[in-house]
Amino acid sequence: MNSLSEECTPLKQEYDACFNSWFSDKYLKGVTTDHCGPLFQKYQECVKKAIKDKAIDLEQLEKRILGTANEKQIPES
Amino acid sequence: HPWETVAQAAWRKYPNPLNPSVIGVDVLDRKVDHHGKLISHRVLTTTWGMPSWAALLIGLHPVTYASEHSVVDPKRKSFELKSSNVSLQNFISIDEKLVYSPHPTIKDATLLKQEAVVTVRGLSLANRLEQMVTNAISSKASAGREGLEMIIEKINDEMKEFASTAKKGLEEMKNSVDVLDFE
Repeated sequence: MNSLSEECTPLKQEYDACFNSWFSDKYLKGVTTDHCGPLFQKYQECVKKAIKDKAIDLEQLEKRILGTANEKQIPES
Repeated sequence: HPWETVAQAAWRKYPNPLNPSVIGVDVLDRKVDHHGKLISHRVLTTTWGMPSWAALLIGLHPVTYASEHSVVDPKRKSFELKSSNVSLQNFISIDEKLVYSPHPTIKDATLLKQEAVVTVRGLSLANRLEQMVTNAISSKASAGREGLEMIIEKINDEMKEFASTAKKGLEEMKNSVDVLDFE
């Protein structure tokens, strides 16, 4: 799987591999501290910069629809 | 499949041939909160399923982005994902919620509850368009489950290969130890 930015893809793949094995081998067995921190930091820095460069506005997303008063009723079908 | 298997596979859902339009997944934030729940925020990059020149021609950006917030509760065995589109928010809102939990009656099986709300703004064709998108999401939902099934099979194959490699390694070690005994 790729990252939204080509240059972040190798960092992402490294982090994902770490996360996937941590998730199955540690987290689901009750270990909550993870060792992927440094990998994640490097990857995150790259992604956050890419988002800024591409001007993706994520703040719009903080409003929820499902589960709030905005949720539409099921239409009569 | 048991909930743990599905939870692992859900993180690795993309890419899969049944959801080809998701071309990028990035983790923006992730932490384990003080209740032990895993909270993640991801951004998904999707194409329209057409070449970028075609999308640009009809006035669309070649990629759209969606923001996904998820919570894994390993004690209650619940994996909940909520996603909304970022791009085109002025035009349409597609909000999806997926919850994976152990099946209430079938042993070692997982229940997926999937909902989507589509809201189209400012168009006289609003109702028709909402219906079209809702139908597409509905048929994608079963593709999503099938895609997940493929990933689970892939993970099982990986584990079998790992086990057989480990077994071979152990046998080789054992053989070399046996040889040493003879000297």
